[in-house]
Amino acid sequence: MRPRHASRARAGALPAAGVLMTLVLAGCGGGGFAGEERAQSEGGTTEVRMLVNITPNLTQTYWEGLVKTFEQANPGIDVKIEAPSGKGVADTLQQQLAAGNAPDVVETLMADETLAPQMLDLSDQPWVKDTPLAQEAALDGKIYTVGVGEQAQSLVFYNKTAFDKAGITEPPKTWDELTEAMGKLKDAGYLPLRTAGDFVTGLQLLQLSGPAKAVAHPNWYQDVKAGTLKAGESMLPYLERYKSWLDKGYLDKNALGLKYADAEASFLSGKAGMYVMGSWFTAAEADAKKDFEVGVFPAPVDEGQSYPGPQGATMAAPYMILKSTPHKDAALKLVQWLVTDKAAVASQLQQDGNFRTGVEREFTPLEREVQKILDEAPAKVAQGEGYGADTLPKGFNSAWNTEVQGLYVGKSPRDVATAVDRWLDSRS
Amino acid sequence: MRSGIARGQGLATAIMVVPATVLYAVMLVVPVGLAFYLSLTDWDGFSANPAVVGLDNYGRLLGDPELRRAALVTLLVAGAGTAGLNLLGLGFALLVNGRSRANTFFRMVLFYPHVLSALVVGFLWSAILGTTGAVNSFITQRGGEVLPFLSDPAWATVTMIAVLVWAGFGVNVVLYLAGLQAVPHSLIEAAQIDGATRWQTFRNVTLPALGPSVTVNVVLSLVTLLKTYDLVVSLTAGGPAGQTQTVAYLILWNSFHDARLGFGSAQSVVLMVVTAALAFVVTRLRRRGETAAHQ
Repeated sequence: MRPRHASRARAGALPAAGVLMTLVLAGCGGGGFAGEERAQSEGGTTEVRMLVNITPNLTQTYWEGLVKTFEQANPGIDVKIEAPSGKGVADTLQQQLAAGNAPDVVETLMADETLAPQMLDLSDQPWVKDTPLAQEAALDGKIYTVGVGEQAQSLVFYNKTAFDKAGITEPPKTWDELTEAMGKLKDAGYLPLRTAGDFVTGLQLLQLSGPAKAVAHPNWYQDVKAGTLKAGESMLPYLERYKSWLDKGYLDKNALGLKYADAEASFLSGKAGMYVMGSWFTAAEADAKKDFEVGVFPAPVDEGQSYPGPQGATMAAPYMILKSTPHKDAALKLVQWLVTDKAAVASQLQQDGNFRTGVEREFTPLEREVQKILDEAPAKVAQGEGYGADTLPKGFNSAWNTEVQGLYVGKSPRDVATAVDRWLDSRS
Repeated sequence: MRSGIARGQGLATAIMVVPATVLYAVMLVVPVGLAFYLSLTDWDGFSANPAVVGLDNYGRLLGDPELRRAALVTLLVAGAGTAGLNLLGLGFALLVNGRSRANTFFRMVLFYPHVLSALVVGFLWSAILGTTGAVNSFITQRGGEVLPFLSDPAWATVTMIAVLVWAGFGVNVVLYLAGLQAVPHSLIEAAQIDGATRWQTFRNVTLPALGPSVTVNVVLSLVTLLKTYDLVVSLTAGGPAGQTQTVAYLILWNSFHDARLGFGSAQSVVLMVVTAALAFVVTRLRRRGETAAHQ
């Protein structure tokens, strides 16, 4: 056992080191300073600081408006919304933790082996068991993360006009049917599948292969972690199929020059037949002006597997409470309200195009189709780096993405698979 | 009496030096020391108790294929970029060296890209050169093929260097202008009286006199380009297929995205040492060249 004073000395030195390290690495400070006075119970009011993700949908104004209702119902609690001062929530939290200035609540991140030691165990809270994917995201049986809803991951959005013109009467259910549909779309003058650079390349292939892979390898994450299954090797059939699509001209060979937003705009302009993306795409679809209808179907499965396969699902708007919070009760009250209050939940789902079984909100026709897919999915499985017990080392998504992009620049599927496995070996 | 005055002056000097020394220590020496300390740990940026792993992180650097690739890209960017910045900087400085309103205007125009944030520059050029960007839209609307400015590794690297040069050469113009204005006019007049052509005057009078400016420009360009990060984020995001990742980009990515601050610190220590060594070597070589030119 480590002597108590020694442990404290190290813990005390590290925040200072962190602040200075941040200056060295990032070229900027941020996140405050260790020992900074924190507003606590001033005038009988408790200030709960919540670090949130700011996006075009989830603006600072939206967050402040959302928590206003909570503040009115709880006059003693003042919620302070904090936007990331760094590149995103994760690195901002790193800076704040290092500076001894961590928030009370953090949104967007999910507990993994790195974050869990800093977070409050919520397992004993009676309300957590009714929140979506809480059990699936549990780590060693402990629930640290609770969310508002779900995001479906393995979805293929399609241009109904393009499908009609190409003579495709039924959305494809298997990878073979998908390939066949691509051929017809190409013949009809459409780009069969819109792909892109950025983080999209790898994400799309993970989303597309998710259901088939989950059936072929039901314990994929655990097996990969245990080293009994090679991730790259298990993905080789999908990499080979993807490469064959590139070779046949079913994918845009210059797609890597497109950013995420460009890809979305390109599909919504009507030039492409299909676009693989998560359910949040419905929000962009609802706002877009277009002269065709968009449909959606679950990602295909392999020959012989039952369709639809397990649906990749991730937690929408995940919340965690920092273990270091001096306002545990207020923070718990806030998070409980955010993930269980009907109006707050509906508002967050609506704002970011997310879903939760049993929660009614205003749906677009496309959103209703997505909700149906989620409701009818035989199972929900982790996606990408995963969560809870199904978590791969941090950085897997981007390493996978980089390697999959290699298919566009001359790498063979085998080389990509080997590189992915090498990356995982180096992190194990 | 005199020794008392000298002691007083010494004390005053020491007092005046203290603030700068403290600032230097706090802002540079301590962070560098901490970076080295952290490079010996497995700190993930979140935990309060990182374990000391000795030189493990440095050992991993040697076998890291990502770092090898990023190091090559960084050297290419630094080498080609330094050449581009200095050739363009000197060329335009010669063009706008005279005193006129037009030159004042052109100096401002040339310096303007440097005023923009590198992030803005990157997004701007990706909107122009991306697959569906302005240039490619223009080409495809006229039946042409898309040019892979950002989707082909070789094209993307060249594009990145070109944008870096575009965004940065204004500073070199200013530095070379300062150098040109310090060249004694009498020397140029003497060369002209002796019948030297404009090229001979430049080659044998102006350029040797610009030696110190060249050294400053080359070293500054090299050091700046070895740390290229923000333009990579906004222009290529390190792609396609990681082929435009620079070492600085990789350091930030490993440290914060992959939560491997210990490993990232080891990379940053190595980058710092390599940058300092290169700057030292270039400065020494330039000084030797300048001395030879004056003899």
